[in-house]
Amino acid sequence: MSDLNSRPAELPALLRALPEEAAPPYGYQEFERRARERARRSRGLAGGERLAAACVLGVGLLAVLVRLGVPAGAANPTTPGAPALVRAAPGPEDETLPPHAGLAERWLASLPEEPAIVHVGTRAAVLGLEDRIAQIDDLLSTARDNGDAAARLATLRQERARLVGTLVQVRYAEALADGSL
Amino acid sequence: MSRLATITVCPEVLARACHGEGAARQALYAQLAPATLNLIRRMVGQRALAEDLFQDTMMIFYERLGQYRHEAPIGAWLRQIAVSRCLMYLRSPWKRARLCLEPVDGGVAAEVAALVTPGYAGELIDLERALASLAPTARAIVWMYEVEGYSHQEIALAFGRSVSFSKSQLSRAHVRLRLLLEPEVQPPSCLI
Repeated sequence: MSDLNSRPAELPALLRALPEEAAPPYGYQEFERRARERARRSRGLAGGERLAAACVLGVGLLAVLVRLGVPAGAANPTTPGAPALVRAAPGPEDETLPPHAGLAERWLASLPEEPAIVHVGTRAAVLGLEDRIAQIDDLLSTARDNGDAAARLATLRQERARLVGTLVQVRYAEALADGSL
Repeated sequence: MSRLATITVCPEVLARACHGEGAARQALYAQLAPATLNLIRRMVGQRALAEDLFQDTMMIFYERLGQYRHEAPIGAWLRQIAVSRCLMYLRSPWKRARLCLEPVDGGVAAEVAALVTPGYAGELIDLERALASLAPTARAIVWMYEVEGYSHQEIALAFGRSVSFSKSQLSRAHVRLRLLLEPEVQPPSCLI
C-alpha cells in the first residue's frame, strides 16, 4: 500500500545539494564538430536506408516473380503473325510440383528440427506488475476516501487480486527456471 | 545550485543567438550546458549515455532556437527538450530490452558507480547511491518532482500515464530511499 506520508522532509534539500556539473562536458567547438559529424552520419544513414529499401523492394519483386512464375508471354513473346510455339509436354515432376518447389524444400530442410528456446528476463514484467498494483492501491485508497460505490471498490479489489495472481505466477516461473523448487 | 529552469540569460545575447550569431550561441552554450548535462545525468544515470543525450538535446535546442517565442524562460524551454529526450530514451524498446536482459544487482551496481560523483564525500554519496538504486522511471520522477518542481499532472502528461502512476511511483521511491538512507537497526541478539 502506498504511503504518501512517507516523504522524507529533508529529501528535496538533500537532492538539491547533490554535486552538480561545474562545466559542460566539452566546449562549444567540440559540440559543433560532433553535431556536424552526427549530421553527416545521419545523411549517410539516410542514403543507406534508401539503398536498403531498394534492395528489399528488389528482393520482394523477385520473390513475387518466383512465386507466380515467369509469365509464358514474357518468356516466349509471340509476335502477331508468328506461329505459336508448341510447349513441350510436361514431365511427371512438372505436373505435381511448381517451379519453386525445390527452393522451398531446401529452405524447409535447412530449418532446425526443434524450435529455438529463448530465455528472457522477468524484471520488466515484474516491475510493470508491481507498478500496476501500486497504482490500483492508490485508486483503492482514493475510492475509499471518497466513499465511492461498493461496486467500484469490488472491481478494484478484483483487479488487484488478478494482478497479484499474475505476479505470483511470474515469481513461480522464476523459481522453476532457477531450479530452486 | 543553479537549476536549468531558473537560469536567466541576457536578452540581447538571446536575441543574437536566435538570429544564429555564433558568438552568442557559444555564450548561451557556456551558460546552459552544465545544468542541462546535470539534469540529463540525474535522469538517465549513466554518464556516457547522458553525454549522448546531451548532444542530442543541444542540437535540437539550436535547431529550434529560431522558433523560440519568449513565452517561458529559455532554461525552462531547454529543460522541456532535455526531459523529452530523456523520457524518449527511458520509454524506448531498446532500453526495456536491456533492462530485461541485465542482471538486477549487476545493473544497479554499474549505474551506482556511474552516478556517484568522484571526489565527493559525505552523506550525499549515500543519497547518490540510494538514488541510483531506484528504477530509472522512479528516479526520473523523483528528480522531476523534488528538484525540478514538476507537478504530478505534468509528470503524468510527460510519461503519458495517470496522475496516480506518478504519485505511486514517487511514494514507493520515497519508501525505498528512506529504507536505504536510514541506518540499519540490528535485531537484539538472543542468548540461550
